[in-house]
Amino acid sequence: MGNLMSASFAPECNEVKTKYDNCFNEWYSEKFLKGKGAINPCEELYEDYKACLGTALTARGIKNMLDKAREDAPFEVGGRTQEELNEEFNKPEKK
Amino acid sequence: MKFVSSQCSFDYPWNYVSASAWKKYPNEMSSHVVAVDVLRREVNPETGILTTERLITCRQPIPRWLLAIVGGRDTSYVREVSEVDPVKKTLTLRSCNLTMNHLLSVNEICTYSPDTSDFSKTVFNQVARIEAYATFQRLCNKIEDWSVERFRQNAAIGKLGFESVLQKLANTVPEGMFKEVSTA
Repeated sequence: MGNLMSASFAPECNEVKTKYDNCFNEWYSEKFLKGKGAINPCEELYEDYKACLGTALTARGIKNMLDKAREDAPFEVGGRTQEELNEEFNKPEKK
Repeated sequence: MKFVSSQCSFDYPWNYVSASAWKKYPNEMSSHVVAVDVLRREVNPETGILTTERLITCRQPIPRWLLAIVGGRDTSYVREVSEVDPVKKTLTLRSCNLTMNHLLSVNEICTYSPDTSDFSKTVFNQVARIEAYATFQRLCNKIEDWSVERFRQNAAIGKLGFESVLQKLANTVPEGMFKEVSTA
C-alpha cells in the first residue's frame, strides 16, 4: 500500500484529485523517468481535477494572489523571478 | 533581509527521491502542511523538462503579536513552481508565500540532485531569502527573525518528514524498481 496523497485545499475536489495523483505517480516513475514521458495518459483525469479547483480558487479568493505571483515569477520560466533571470544571464559560463 | 541555507543528503538514489518528492505530504512530522494542489503541469516537448505549479496550504499557529498585524488568520498559502530534468537528474523547486506578502516575503529554492561521488545518494540544497516590509526597522527585524526561526524549524521537520516517507515507500517498492544504472 503506497503513501496516502495529500488532501486538496478544497475538500470537494479530493476524489478527483486522488484519481489524478495516482495516475501521475504511475506515469512519473514508469514513463517519465524512463524517457518515455512524451504521452500523458492522465490528461482527462487532470481536466476533471482542474475544473473543480478553478471554481474553488476563485470562490476562496486565492486566484488574485496567484495571478500576481504568476506575473512576478512565470510558469514558463520555471517560476524564476526577473532578478534570478538577470543573475543567470550575467553569470560567467560554467565549463 | 536575511538568508537561510542548508544542505543534507538522503541515502536513496535520485530517481527514487524525485518520485517520492511528489508523495512527501502528508507526513506525521509536517503536520503544518494541510493540502497540496497541482495547478498546472506540462512537459516541454523540446527540453523534456517537467514543470509543475502547485498551491501549498499551511496551517500553523503564529505568535499573538504577529497575528494582530496580519489580521488573525493562521492559514497561509505558498505557490511553488518546480522543474524536473530527467536527463540531468535535477529537481528544482522555487516557492514564495502568497499570503502576508505585503508584510513579508519568503522566497525559497530547493534542489535535489545525485551525489556525484555516490549515485546511491541524493544531495539536497535549500536557500531562502526572507524580507520584511514593515515601516519601522525594529518591527522589520522582529518579523524577519521570527520568520528565520520558523523557517529553520520547518526545514528540520521537513527533512525528518521526508526521510520517514522515503523509508515507508521503500518498504513497498519492488526490489530494483529505481535501481540506478551507474553513469560513472
